[in-house]
Amino acid sequence: MIKLIGCLCILAAGGLFGASKAAGYAHRPQELRSLQAALSLLETEIIYGATPLPEALHQVAQRVNPIIATLFVTAGDDLRSQDGTSVYEAWQRALYQLQDKSHLRSSDISVLANLGSVLGASDRNDQAKHLKLAIERLGVQAAEAEEQARKNVKLWQYLGFFAGAAVVLLLI
Amino acid sequence: MSNRVAISGNNTVSSVKDAVLCFFPTRLRHLLARLPDRIWRDVEEIRVRMYQPLILNLGWDECYLTYQGRLTTEINEGYKVETDDLSRIIQLITNSSLYAVEEELRNGFITLPGGHRVGLSGRAVVENGKVRTLKYISGLNFRISKEIQGAADTIIPYVVDRRGCCYHTLIVSPPKCGKTTVLRDLIRQLSYGIPSRNLRGQTVGLVDERSEIAGAYKGVPQHDVGPRTDVLDACPKAEGMMMLLRALSPQVMATDEIGRTEDVAALEEVLNAGVKILATAHASSIDELKQRPVLKRLMDLKLFERYILLCSTPRPGTLKQVIDGVTLRPLGG
Repeated sequence: MIKLIGCLCILAAGGLFGASKAAGYAHRPQELRSLQAALSLLETEIIYGATPLPEALHQVAQRVNPIIATLFVTAGDDLRSQDGTSVYEAWQRALYQLQDKSHLRSSDISVLANLGSVLGASDRNDQAKHLKLAIERLGVQAAEAEEQARKNVKLWQYLGFFAGAAVVLLLI
Repeated sequence: MSNRVAISGNNTVSSVKDAVLCFFPTRLRHLLARLPDRIWRDVEEIRVRMYQPLILNLGWDECYLTYQGRLTTEINEGYKVETDDLSRIIQLITNSSLYAVEEELRNGFITLPGGHRVGLSGRAVVENGKVRTLKYISGLNFRISKEIQGAADTIIPYVVDRRGCCYHTLIVSPPKCGKTTVLRDLIRQLSYGIPSRNLRGQTVGLVDERSEIAGAYKGVPQHDVGPRTDVLDACPKAEGMMMLLRALSPQVMATDEIGRTEDVAALEEVLNAGVKILATAHASSIDELKQRPVLKRLMDLKLFERYILLCSTPRPGTLKQVIDGVTLRPLGG
């Protein structure tokens, strides 16, 4: 009986491990697309609304998925405190938090990090150029992530379960 | 002739200090906060230039901030402003949004809450022969604006007669003699009404082209300019006067620093509409006024009934002389 429960546990652990790996692949493209949408919202706020950055970040945060919103809420709050934190610092801090919470890779984060050094620091035309560039680069990352998701989601789901099964067989 | 000077409630030393300090990054904020209140009371300008010592202009003297948060008269001991300081200050005064202050950059200054202004210098980006914006901002000048209620007390008898009738008045002085402060207080007093001169509160139209008189932040005056004052902020004078005249029917029209040809035409128009005029001009004497073609024309037209000359001794805003606009003879002072 105990043996059976142990086997089931191992199987479940393997399955869950595979599922979590698969989820990473499955969520990354969604998050990247969501980021793209968020940046276009930010672009609208900046270009057409000339909304001050802390306010614009909060506006965007309200309209995107909660994980991506972390970035905008954290950075916006930091800037609102008016304690001399630069946009770059606030953005970097927010990116660390985003990386912890999301399934984004460091290559995705670095696209956003580049944006942090120019955000709010130039005129509207220039801001538009930088935001467009970031949106495009996120698009490339998203396409690559989708390709990987197609290959790896199924693979990891099966792999986790079968690895669990293999361990069970070995132990029996 | 001395002025009764009272610093108004919303302009106390601590409020000036708080309003200005929050635009400096942490390190500079700590150093500046250590300066005694006496300095904060007198400070007129804080100049921040890249790689140069931070300069405090105290009106009577110029001082430099040391790395220990003290004042020195030795420029070499002064705190040298670094790139990081400057970029943080710019972020703080623009709310991290340079793109949202393009219009202000074009004008060369940003107004802060409290009516203080920051003048900017850097590299101009020119488009079609006009400045589009500023890039690489390398110099800032925090101009602390001080509202002195009662600054116009000495000139009131010359501007308003006993029956409560207001004269067309031009306030004349060299820079830094308190023209704007006196005009602001005059507007405030006229707007509230002056019972001692039988003057009821007047509707004042104020065209504040350089946002200096009312110190408007997001369109709202930060200085007390009275309950019956309409402020057209950052608007070109001539055009603004016409707009106010048409839409807001003022009894008194006030504006700063007249001197362009179109200003004269607009002033004539205002005069014909039966509106009283208060204005200021740069000059140190009536003779100097006559040398400027536009102002000379104003004098020939006998548009103004009173010329009020101010000087800076013993303190800015001191009345030097009042000249009758028709006879060009001194009235007193």
